[in-house]
Amino acid sequence: MLVIIGGDAAGMSAASQVRRLQPATDILVFERGPHTSFSA
Amino acid sequence: MNINVQTRHEVTAIDPEKQKVLVNNLHSAIEYWQNYDQLLIATGARPVRPPLEGIDSRNIYDVNNLVNGSLLKQALAEQQPKTAVIVGGGYIGLEMAEALQMRGLKITMIQRNVQVMPTLDPDMGERLGRALREKGIDLHVNETVQGFEHKDGLAFAVTTDKGTIPCDLIILGLGVTPNSELAANAGIPLGPKGSIRVNDLQQTETPNIWAAGDCAQSYHLVSRKPVHAAMGTVANKQGRIAGMNLGGQYAAFPGVVGTAITKFMDTECARTGLNEREIKALGLHYSIGLIEGHTLPRYYPGSSKICVKVLAEKGSGRLLGVQIVGGRGSAKRIDIAATALHAGFSLEDLLYLDLSYAPPFAGVWDPIVIAARMALKEG
Repeated sequence: MLVIIGGDAAGMSAASQVRRLQPATDILVFERGPHTSFSA
Repeated sequence: MNINVQTRHEVTAIDPEKQKVLVNNLHSAIEYWQNYDQLLIATGARPVRPPLEGIDSRNIYDVNNLVNGSLLKQALAEQQPKTAVIVGGGYIGLEMAEALQMRGLKITMIQRNVQVMPTLDPDMGERLGRALREKGIDLHVNETVQGFEHKDGLAFAVTTDKGTIPCDLIILGLGVTPNSELAANAGIPLGPKGSIRVNDLQQTETPNIWAAGDCAQSYHLVSRKPVHAAMGTVANKQGRIAGMNLGGQYAAFPGVVGTAITKFMDTECARTGLNEREIKALGLHYSIGLIEGHTLPRYYPGSSKICVKVLAEKGSGRLLGVQIVGGRGSAKRIDIAATALHAGFSLEDLLYLDLSYAPPFAGVWDPIVIAARMALKEG
């Protein structure tokens, strides 16, 4: 289980990279705000 | 992408021993612990808000994300403010000055340093300051904000060490600070300006915990020191590096050279590497090449003025930094310098670069190359 704190540029870049490399890994992103990745 | 994203969920604590995080569901206010095998901290940075009288007034805005950007836009439409004070003449301040002036507001900008854009040297910042004044911005330099006069939750004037400036709206552009408290409370070591200390792979010093983006430090390739570089470009790259390593590959982030670019109306500015203040702080001796030229051959229509400043180490000739202020077509040239800094170029390496030339694009000698030649003459 990969947990990511923060769903903006760095967090979502990392999440999508891991997903491409490892289709089966569980990825869970916690974002405090109402939006993810508005600038990425 | 099959990524489980929980918005409105705030992580309030990390337990690195038990490998779990405390999550607060902001919808329901329910708290729970979530286990992890690997944890990436990508908490970003937040605008600096000094504890001044009246700073919590509703019409004092940060502009760092979609939520407060749209709040500001809504306030502009509903309240029709006529005057704005922008506190801070950096990237945010400059861009907001442009945006608000285009909407018809009368702008006062307050900068506590000797010039706007303190990441430029004062002589280059002064060129930008002149452009702001020419376009009708009331620019106050060497002036420090002390508080905000307010009534019923709304600020109506900014007080400084030099006077009082009435206004309808206030924008803060005072830089950012990393959101690293979560990491610090978990015992994860911090680096420059409170950013989270990481290695080139984006690993913190705590097992199975990684950090990337505006909350994390970078390595500066020119100063050869760790630095906090809160830039969207860096965040995307560090996130990608962390993701590759977490995904079972190997990737290392080479570092940054401190490149940045912005504009106000027709005046562009950019910088990369170190400025004079930063070079002096390292104790290095340097030479300066400064030129005023044109973006295109002067006979060609659409040419604009450009000023380039090149800084290089005495003796070795190692390129240390470049700054540009000029008209359209000026600032993006900084990428030549950024590439040269990555490659560890000396002034001599710059002189005979095979750069593109045709009159619609550039002169035969690019202004950066001419400035490098001037610096070389100086030794």
